[in-house]
Parts: sequence; structure tokens; C-alpha cells
Amino acid sequence: MPKTKLKGRAIVEGRCKAEALVSAKPISFLGGVDPADGKIIEKGHDLCGECVKDKILCFPHGHGSTVGSYVLYSLAKKHLAPKAIINQKADPVVVVGAIIANIPMIDQIDTTQLKTGDVVEVDACDGFVKILKRKVS
Amino acid sequence: MYLTEEEERIYEGELGWANQICMKILARLGELFNATKLIPISWAHGSGVSYKTLGDAPIAFLEALASAGGKAKVKATLNPQSFDSEYIGRNVGKSIRQKQLNVLAQFEKMGFTESLSCTPYYLERPKKGSHMAWAESSAVVYANSVLGAWTNREGGPSALAAAIVGKTPNHGIHKAENRQPKALVKLEAKLKNEIEFGALGAYLGTILEDKIPIIQGLSNVSNDNLKQLCAAIATTGMVNMFHFGNVSKKLGAVEKVSIEARNIKHTVESLTTASKSKNPDLVFLGCPHCSLSEIKQIANQIGDRKIRSGVKCWICTSRYIREKAKGHVEKIEKSGCHVITDTCAVVTWTEQLGIKVIMTNSAKTAHYAPTLNKAETIFAPLKECLKAALKG
Repeated sequence: MPKTKLKGRAIVEGRCKAEALVSAKPISFLGGVDPADGKIIEKGHDLCGECVKDKILCFPHGHGSTVGSYVLYSLAKKHLAPKAIINQKADPVVVVGAIIANIPMIDQIDTTQLKTGDVVEVDACDGFVKILKRKVS
Repeated sequence: MYLTEEEERIYEGELGWANQICMKILARLGELFNATKLIPISWAHGSGVSYKTLGDAPIAFLEALASAGGKAKVKATLNPQSFDSEYIGRNVGKSIRQKQLNVLAQFEKMGFTESLSCTPYYLERPKKGSHMAWAESSAVVYANSVLGAWTNREGGPSALAAAIVGKTPNHGIHKAENRQPKALVKLEAKLKNEIEFGALGAYLGTILEDKIPIIQGLSNVSNDNLKQLCAAIATTGMVNMFHFGNVSKKLGAVEKVSIEARNIKHTVESLTTASKSKNPDLVFLGCPHCSLSEIKQIANQIGDRKIRSGVKCWICTSRYIREKAKGHVEKIEKSGCHVITDTCAVVTWTEQLGIKVIMTNSAKTAHYAPTLNKAETIFAPLKECLKAALKG
């Protein structure tokens, strides 16, 4: 039985519930996500074509230019941002982005335990993630 | 991470949203990198000024921060923008012009000076041992390795936050113990010119990972040559400083690397992507921005020669150096070459200007031009660059 409660480290405080969008690959927000519609546009990315809006976005870590932080802010201003971010290992680009966009964020979570479509509760005050409902595959 | 009472109050929002968000950025990044506290800085240098590399995403945040009263508490300078007002600025569209001018206006509102240069250390030499938060990678390596000032390699947002708070988290090479060499590089080749210094940097960047090297056997050491090494090592690698010269006896067990002439030669060759038959559309000198001595050297080498038809020649520098080098600049511009300030080939709109082949003596530009300018490159020393640009 996979664990349903995962303990991590709270980075940006907040609590929410939503569907998970899970990637096995790092995400570069600059060039990787379209700030106009929130869709992942990086060619060859496992989430290419998916929209991050209102999702619990789960991925190992960020990479690429520090301008990526501003892309998260710009998504939030247009109500296209994810509801929360879950990382295995937080990196400066995503951390700064989540702070300025005020997106709840947790790291040190084994994101391979999560699947796209799972309904997930994020508590980025106490630093844990609960899987409320597994996606029926 | 420990915050003082005053810092706590800023974190809680006592000085408003702009200061609060900047304090949050520094505190969280500090925790991420195991910093124990914030330390005062003497100087912040911001990147992410060129609208070409920034795009639209950051504008809303810069506007919000500026209108919420974000103001730099320390000396704050800026990297180049995407055009100069005299020359390239006249050839870009109105929308681009307005967006770029808006970005700059937000930074100015926040107290940044319009330095628009990647070589802020020519404007004023930073004090040895002073802590800074600089975001231009070539300047970071130069400050740490050549000038002896201390700065991590900041990103655009963290340098901005550091400027407004006036502090930076004390991690990385703000700590003396993290500035010690971890690799001994034995240079078995005699470097002839600036492009070989650049090639050494580009090669070292790819093999060193995050290990700070001490480089033994450097000859023809000048600040201008070292600048090429700094820019290139930061372009391909993660190290933010190097040592050079004599090895102290205290140097413990470190990784040993030997660099031979063939490594340099191969790296030089790899930085040219254009086929031999191709001529440059643009000859570009001044990455990083030219020093006074480089402008002087270029003026002397140009002499009475005139530019060839069908080729542009840009020599990029800061407004400060251009002003100081007035007489040389006049001489250079008589040839038909342009001495351009505030920008450089990498961060300006070369594609829109129809530039497809860029010739340069900068390893950093040669590395970036294929992706950032969608241009082919010819990597050659100053003398050859000028020969390609000028008649006679």
C-alpha cells in the first residue's frame, strides 16, 4: 500500500486541495511554460500541452534562467498559476517564484508517489501532503 | 536562519509589501543554502534588464515592487538593456522601445543607477573583502578572482531583493572557508592572446563542476585577458571564482588537472560554428564591455582604415568608459565602426537586424550567439576581427 500522507518541508505557507499534475522531469518556467495560457510548451516534456492552472504541480525541481521566477508571478496575476507546488528538491528559481506569486510550496516530497489526477491536500504550513483520492486507472 | 528583530519586523510587513517580499526572498533562499544570518552588502548589481532576454513576464512584478515603494538601500547598478538610444534604438519597433524603457523606468524608480553595463567594476572598483550581491556572472567571477571582493552569483530576483534590503544571506563564497581552492589546475600551454584565455575558461567551466581552482602557469596575465577567462568560466560552469599564481604550501589534498595546448586549441575551434567560406555580418568586440585600455588598443589598431561594405563593427562599452575614451572613440568612429553603450550583441536584437554570422573575440559571446542570437560564430582574436571588418 502506498503511503497516503507524505511529510516534507514547508517553503511558502498555505493550504489547499486540488488535482495533482505530476511530472518526472524538471521544469523551466522561462521558455517551458507559456505565460499567456499556463500551458507547458517545452518540446519533449512529459507534461507538454498540459495546463498548470489550479493544479497541484508536482515535479522533481526547477531549472533554467532566474527569469523563470517572474513567469510564476505573471501566471498568478492572470489567475493561471498552479494552486500549489510540490518539489523533491527546491531550487532558487522556483522558490523565489512561489514567494512572489504567493503559491503554497513544499519540498522534500517523493513526487513519484503521486500520480496525475490524484486528489491531493497540501498543507504548506505544517509541511505535509495527503493523497485524498487516487485516480482510478 | 536567524533574523534580527528589525529584520523580523520587515518580514512581518512593517515597512510595506515591497520590503516584506524582498526579505522573504532572502530569508527563504538563505535557509535553502544553510545560511545562518543576513550580512550587509556594499553594492548590488542587477541582471534581467534587457527586454529581449526578459520578455513580458517580469514587467508586472517590477511595476508592483516599484509602486509599492521598493527602494535600493545600497549602491545599485544594472546590466545592459536591449538597445542604445543612439544607434540600435532607432532601428527597433515602437512597442519594443516602449517596453524596454518601461523596464528601465521601474528600476530607476527603485533607485538603481542607469549604469547599463556588465563591467560595473570599471565605474568604481569594489573594495577588497567587501560583501556584495552581484548578478552578472562574468562580473561575479572578476570581482572574486581579480578584485578580491566577495559575492555569490545572484539571479536577477535575488540581486533585486538584496538591493532593497541592503543585505544578503551569508552562504557560499561569503564564507572564507568556501573560497579555498578545491582543484589544482596545471597549465602546460602558454596562452598567446585573449581568445586563448577565453578558451581556457570555457574548458575549465565544463570540467570543474563546482570546485574552485587554483590555476598555475598562466602567462601574459593582464586584467583584460583575465576578464575573458572570468566571463568564459562562468558561461560554461558553476564556479564563481578562481585563484591564480603561486600555490601556497598549505594547499591540502585537492584534485589535480592538467591542461595542455591541444585542450585550448580544440576549445578555440569548437567556438567557431560558421564554415570557413563565410564572412561575418557583424564583428563584435566588447563582451564583457570594453575597458579603457581595450578601447585605446582598438583605436590604435584601426589606424586610418575604413570599414568594409556589407559588414557592421560594434565595440560595446559603458557610457562611463566611452566618455573617458572620447578621443579614441572619435578615431574609431571615423572608420565607420560604432562604439555602442548600454547594450551588447548578445542581449540586443541582432536577428531583427538581419545578422546571421557574428565574429567575436569573446568566448562568452561565441558560446551564447548560436542560441540567443540564432547566429553562426567566428571566434578569433582582436587583430583578425578588425582585419575582417576593415579594408586594407
